[in-house]
Amino acid sequence: MTQFLQTLFDGVTVGCLYALIALGYTMVYGILKFINFAHSDVFALGVWMSITIAGWIGIGAAGEPVPPWYMGVLVMLLAMGVCGAVGFTVERIAYRPLRGAPRINVLITAIGVSLFLQNFGQLRWIFGAYPKAFPTLLGDQTLFSLAGVNFRLSDAAVIGTAVALMAALQYLIFRTKMGAAMRAVSFSPRNASLMGINVDLVISFTFVVGTMLAAAAGFLYGVKYGGQAKQTADSMWVMLGLKAFVAAVVGGIGNVRGAVLGGLLIGLIEWFGVAYLGSQYRDAYVFAILILVLLFRPAGVLGKATIEKV
Amino acid sequence: MPTLIEQARSNKPAAASILPRAIWPLLVGLAIGALMFYVIGPGMGDYPSKIVLIAGINIILAVSLTVVNGFTGQFSMGHAGFMAVGGYVAATITYYGSMKLFGSADPAGGVLSFTGGADKPTALARWGDALFIGSCLMGGVGAAIAGYIVGLPSLRLRGDYLAIVTLGFGEIVRVLLQGTHEQIQPWRVEDALAKPVYELAISLGGPKGFQLLPTYTTLFWVYLFVVVTLIICYRVKNSSTGRAFLSIREDEIAAQAMGVDITKYKVRAFVLAAFFAGVAGGLYAMDIGAINAGDLGFLKSFDIIIMVVLGGMGSISGAALAAIILTILPELLRNPPPVWPVGLVLIALIAGVSSYRKRFRWKPIIVIAIASTLLEVGRQIALSKGINVADFRLILYALLLITMMLVRPQGIFGIHEIWEILPGYARREAARNGARGGSQGGKP
Amino acid sequence: MSTPPIVLDVQGISISFGGLKAVQNFSLKLPRGRLYGLIGPNGAGKTTVFNLLTGVYQADSGTITLDGVKLNGLKPHQIAAAGLSRTFQNIRLFGELSVLDNVRLACHLRGKHSIWSTILRSAYHMGQEAAIHRRSLDLLGILGLDSRAGEQARNLPYGDQRRLEIARALATDPKVLLLDEPAAGMNPQEKKSLRDLIRQIMRQFDVTILLIEHDMGVVMDICERITVLDYGVTIAEDVPKEIQKNPKVIEAYLGEAAPAAH
Repeated sequence: MTQFLQTLFDGVTVGCLYALIALGYTMVYGILKFINFAHSDVFALGVWMSITIAGWIGIGAAGEPVPPWYMGVLVMLLAMGVCGAVGFTVERIAYRPLRGAPRINVLITAIGVSLFLQNFGQLRWIFGAYPKAFPTLLGDQTLFSLAGVNFRLSDAAVIGTAVALMAALQYLIFRTKMGAAMRAVSFSPRNASLMGINVDLVISFTFVVGTMLAAAAGFLYGVKYGGQAKQTADSMWVMLGLKAFVAAVVGGIGNVRGAVLGGLLIGLIEWFGVAYLGSQYRDAYVFAILILVLLFRPAGVLGKATIEKV
Repeated sequence: MPTLIEQARSNKPAAASILPRAIWPLLVGLAIGALMFYVIGPGMGDYPSKIVLIAGINIILAVSLTVVNGFTGQFSMGHAGFMAVGGYVAATITYYGSMKLFGSADPAGGVLSFTGGADKPTALARWGDALFIGSCLMGGVGAAIAGYIVGLPSLRLRGDYLAIVTLGFGEIVRVLLQGTHEQIQPWRVEDALAKPVYELAISLGGPKGFQLLPTYTTLFWVYLFVVVTLIICYRVKNSSTGRAFLSIREDEIAAQAMGVDITKYKVRAFVLAAFFAGVAGGLYAMDIGAINAGDLGFLKSFDIIIMVVLGGMGSISGAALAAIILTILPELLRNPPPVWPVGLVLIALIAGVSSYRKRFRWKPIIVIAIASTLLEVGRQIALSKGINVADFRLILYALLLITMMLVRPQGIFGIHEIWEILPGYARREAARNGARGGSQGGKP
Repeated sequence: MSTPPIVLDVQGISISFGGLKAVQNFSLKLPRGRLYGLIGPNGAGKTTVFNLLTGVYQADSGTITLDGVKLNGLKPHQIAAAGLSRTFQNIRLFGELSVLDNVRLACHLRGKHSIWSTILRSAYHMGQEAAIHRRSLDLLGILGLDSRAGEQARNLPYGDQRRLEIARALATDPKVLLLDEPAAGMNPQEKKSLRDLIRQIMRQFDVTILLIEHDMGVVMDICERITVLDYGVTIAEDVPKEIQKNPKVIEAYLGEAAPAAH
């Protein structure tokens, strides 16, 4: 029972992170109809910017007292800002000129951007190729225990922040003018531009929002797992990002609520697979789910099938 | 009007000319392989010939991926997965096969080999190379079966979804291979002899990789396969099958309307590509003497994709050229040689040819001049600051990929072969078509 | 004159997309060796009928029979193999391939292509490739494209691209040919030669044609019978002279323009 609850809890926590990253994939796909392969690297950038910014401010180093919680929030917001700027630049330079190009070309560009971010980050003047520890920005105390399952402060931070961000996004998309513009562009960029919507602006905005969510996920990942494993700037992130992408596809790509649902689903499947079937096949569970979903319900759980016009 | 099949039957050439057409690629392959092994390899020294060998393996990988990504227009991101399947199958057969047949995992050279082997005790133990090459082919078959399985989802998925599925497939392969049992070490041959085959087949070293394999791969075998791969892919491209591949890439709906069974051909493309990738995997494993699924993840797939994208989506010679350049480039970058002499020669060539044709062209000359100058400046800076340019290799590739998509998305050569864009080719081709069509062609 | 046997028999096919009934209860009997027309205002469902016939969409109800073979449920390539070929309204050539290769690809349907004989270049394979090559050049000759055989299809002028589509469709050796607006974008001169070309094709290839066309001059001149669609419903089916007088047809067209003026 304890194991079951623990697994459920871990799955939900990781699922929240996946959901945050999946939102970025799904928003970009919804509007531009392509997989932003570099999204996972923005997530990694979020982790690294958090480390760097905390270092600049001078908080969270090993052995020092834990800084107040609002410093952590500050680090997160700064990291989100930097990543948003990077997302904006990438869209402007690499993706915008390819508007209307075949999808495969855009995908190859995205792979190029991904490789660039990975290897640029590993230069010794940027983040370096060696692992670094994530600063301690939150206390490690246990808030309460339930049936043998510990509920830590970091878990509360992850779930709380994730839910808050998702609620904010929900508000943005369905309650604001910009959100209406985003939905219009997603439906038909051409018609949206005929209605006087600045499509380029909306796409840039979507990119920035998506990358900022990924950066927040990166920060939360660091807070949750930073103490256990040192962080490197290499391709391991691609795998995490890909799982988030799988989450977006499973939920129904282009569908914001689907991304959240898919993220939770993938988190749970992964953790239950690890707990009950063995950890060495961790990555295989997720991709097996992807292949099954694509074969039997290609539009995802919440997606709609589309008909190609001849 | 008789149907095509009837026409084809009535059109049989003399039997004597059939066999050479089927066989000559193999003979050329043997000849080039022998040439590489006996003359070029020893002439270059150990390290350069190693690079040439790796270049050969990369050619096979890039050219085979061209069949799927270039001809058929499906975007596979799991090519390294096929390579891993083939490599592990080949390694298993060679390694445990050596133990079972020869009583040791050491290379057993001989008849087909050029590595000697007269010192081997039994006649059987001289057949190591036959075992090796057979196992590479079996690796190809294993990968082809995997290709069939991966090809099936492509019936329902298009574009980027398929890309992600192939990537997922590659990762599943990696994870499964890393989950295998410890290998039976070479000094415990009795254990291997005692165990049944199916148990050996899952003792592949797990996360540590499959190590201490007999190293059979030589320039001979690699370039034999390079030649065979190139010729087979070229023949496929210039056939009804190849045109069916290309039509799928151009327009699936029109292809279907013209009677192309796109399902069948997509699977065919995957199977063909996977076969060669599997063979390349076998060559790769028995070159290094080890294979680790961890090295054959999506980053390796990306390496191959870069070669195909740069060379041209659908150009066999372009992909091969890109494979060679991208294999040598890191070595060159380690100690970059001056590029401007090449630039000068190119400028002289262009100037000469274009003035001969009375159409002087400034643009390429200016571009080459500027590029050479920039490269030289960069080289001088790198030399004076002691920067190792090879460290920037992957950043360079990434920028190259992005620039390529912005400037020339079809790759350097597009779907054309290198010789097809040479001046005069179009004229000769038109003459050929005219000569054939003129005699029988109908009048409008 | 006795009526030749029916080669394409369409009985009451319908399809709807969501709530939109794109084609309702469409029927057609096309006798062998005849040229029938299918007209209607924009959005009337003409191209949808072609897509239903060629298997791009599956009909919700009704049957399609080609020379005794039921086409319902078959995949597009199987329908092409059964002898139904088409051109596309929005040209769908294989743009990167040469003009010759576009036609050679379509010849592919009537041959056998094993991967082994391709790799080994067997005598059978070589003979077949040579036959395909000859036949493609013949077809290009008939369509007046032989001088452009080596060019990339997408570099052809518009009128040539339309004719290449016809050549490509003919290369599949069809019993029935569906032409989707072959005269669109052509100038009067080209339209006139297209009319002659279609007549020549019918004679030379023993093919039955169903034609969608907006140009009433072409339709009224060459079609023996015409079916008129409006909002997915067949509103008339008769010889051209009667169609021109039919009040329902005139009414359907008055929304955009009088039929003769188009």
